[in-house]
Amino acid sequence: MKDPKELKPDTLSLHAGQRPDPATGARATPIYQTSSFVFDNSEIAAGIFNVERTGHVYSRITNPTNSVLEERISALEGGIGAIATSSGQAAMHLAISTILDSGSHIIASNCLYGGSHNLLEYTFPRFGIETTFIDFRDIDLVKKSFKENTRLVFGETLGNPGLDVMDIETISNISHENGVPLLVDSTFTTPHLMRPFDLGADLIFHSATKFLSGHGVVIGGLLVDSGNFNWEKSGKFPQLTEPYSGFHNMIFTQEFGPAAFISRARKEGARDFGACMSPHTAFLVLQGIETLGLRMDRHVATTLQIVEYLNNHDLVDKVIYPTLATHPDHKLASKLLPKGCGAVFTFELKGRREAGKAFIENLSIFSHLANVGDAKSLVIQPASTTHHRMDAASLEKAGISEGTIRLSVGLEDPEDLINDLDLGFRAAKKIL
Amino acid sequence: MKNIYSFSGPEGLKDTKHPIVFIHGTGMDHTVWTLPIRYFLRKDRNVLGIDLPGHGRSKGKLLETIPDMAKWLLGYLDHLKVNEFSVVGHSMGSLIALETASLAEKRAVNLVMVGTAFPMAVSDVLLDYAKNNKPEAIDILTYMGYSNQARLGRNTNPGMWMTGSTKKLLEKSNEGVIYQDLKACAEYDSGLKSAAKVSATTLLILGKKDFLTPPFKANDLINSFKDPLVKEIHDSGHTLMVESPNTVLDYLIEIL
Repeated sequence: MKDPKELKPDTLSLHAGQRPDPATGARATPIYQTSSFVFDNSEIAAGIFNVERTGHVYSRITNPTNSVLEERISALEGGIGAIATSSGQAAMHLAISTILDSGSHIIASNCLYGGSHNLLEYTFPRFGIETTFIDFRDIDLVKKSFKENTRLVFGETLGNPGLDVMDIETISNISHENGVPLLVDSTFTTPHLMRPFDLGADLIFHSATKFLSGHGVVIGGLLVDSGNFNWEKSGKFPQLTEPYSGFHNMIFTQEFGPAAFISRARKEGARDFGACMSPHTAFLVLQGIETLGLRMDRHVATTLQIVEYLNNHDLVDKVIYPTLATHPDHKLASKLLPKGCGAVFTFELKGRREAGKAFIENLSIFSHLANVGDAKSLVIQPASTTHHRMDAASLEKAGISEGTIRLSVGLEDPEDLINDLDLGFRAAKKIL
Repeated sequence: MKNIYSFSGPEGLKDTKHPIVFIHGTGMDHTVWTLPIRYFLRKDRNVLGIDLPGHGRSKGKLLETIPDMAKWLLGYLDHLKVNEFSVVGHSMGSLIALETASLAEKRAVNLVMVGTAFPMAVSDVLLDYAKNNKPEAIDILTYMGYSNQARLGRNTNPGMWMTGSTKKLLEKSNEGVIYQDLKACAEYDSGLKSAAKVSATTLLILGKKDFLTPPFKANDLINSFKDPLVKEIHDSGHTLMVESPNTVLDYLIEIL
């Protein structure tokens, strides 16, 4: 008997979760743009509601187009199941709200996307969930930060804005020793560059708005369950191990085993919070994922060229990208991200805010906006936009400077992009 | 028996009147039967979703042969004071169900064998991987456990990746479990004799695209039963309860 060959990621990107539509023969995934689904009869309806039959009821909870996407990302990440959500923020919220209650505590990396930071720092405390933000490079501090009520550890594969590479293996081991799962935001790396479950993460979410869809046309999120975490052994998650009165006293670990988390997330979170993805969005994300491998390789290759160009430019103080030997996580990145460190990074432009403004306003191919992971190249200066109220000292505390510029490198010709950046530098030079 | 786990719904077993006993396959546990169990619970039937000794939540020593497993199951039913019962098994569980129905011919009302064959041959390569607790054993069981089409997904259970879920359940089994189970299947040699003794109403549910127990390998078994019902699901592989859960349930409802 030959060893079976698992399908490779590029094949899964095109096929996982989908077969030609049995009703029409359509090769592409149809967009099931419907709010609800007709039952064959009352008995079948009762069966689907009671989770004794499979099928769709209402698109807030499941939808056939979304299901294809959910299977596809599960396959690519090596998970058991997923839920498509209205945004990456909704996916993060769904993960946390499924297993944390008022009185719970989170340990989070201190280098998070601003939206994630806001949710943890300002919003969840209103609901009794507190977060301690720490430097994940300080392993002793990570170990010391666990409290009796800690229920989750959370970080990003590549942190914001310094592209801190999370040592997922080490952090997950510590989390598991404390009976707590590790949730990872894998948006910047996608399963093409890193599969966090292989390193020990338990739950992953993506902003599918970014590289997964890849064309800047949708807002969407995905929450994926590895099925690895032992909720019963932990003993800290009654949401999954004790009767849930919201679903006929179902005990999720008892009835769904490894799928306990994702089952509760759907039966409670998708049902009650309702932050579902539109089927049309799911279709567009699927279209993006079909070319994920090709695009990510190109994104990374072009990024490397631009990083080299910037690293040698007179008007650049510093480029922050983990493939550079100067990056604090260079060695870890070589181990965890052999295919590359993504296509979003920052550099420090000499001069203050005005130089940055001149630089950005003279770019024509790079688009000045607040997003990343588009096929088109993007640029933003935090000090003059997202962080414009902060003075230099406050910016420094946030890990950025007045001259920090963030690029999201797209799929254009690398030479054209470098020429475009050159125009920006010429304009900035006049200010200096 | 105190270390044995069986699932009978949130309220537990109501009484001992004619339960339906569900038995899992190699390296699995009762959760493979969650959907049909939920149906029969809704219909106020007694059910027992068994975790065999050393599997799932059940502690205890692994049983080495299919007849030993059947004797153990009857002992468990005796312990619960169950007289009449119906028994449903998948793969290895189907052989246990067969042997149980044969040993307790007057007590077994219905026998359902899902994804079955006799003999249930296991390749030396697979046994060797399993014996050495190599992950390749799980890879082979997962790969061969599904039809070619199902390996691409399109689960009728929304959002769940079929092969990923099966692999995870197998990975959660303790060391040595998969080997012991496969060995028990391979060494079981009294299937035809046992089938001839069965007086329970018998149903075989087979997947036409099953690589592990292809339907033609159930022919001798089918011919050994007195008057079996046979249902083939044309687009399903070996893991029928995942690939075709609603059809499997419909067939179970017909007989149970």
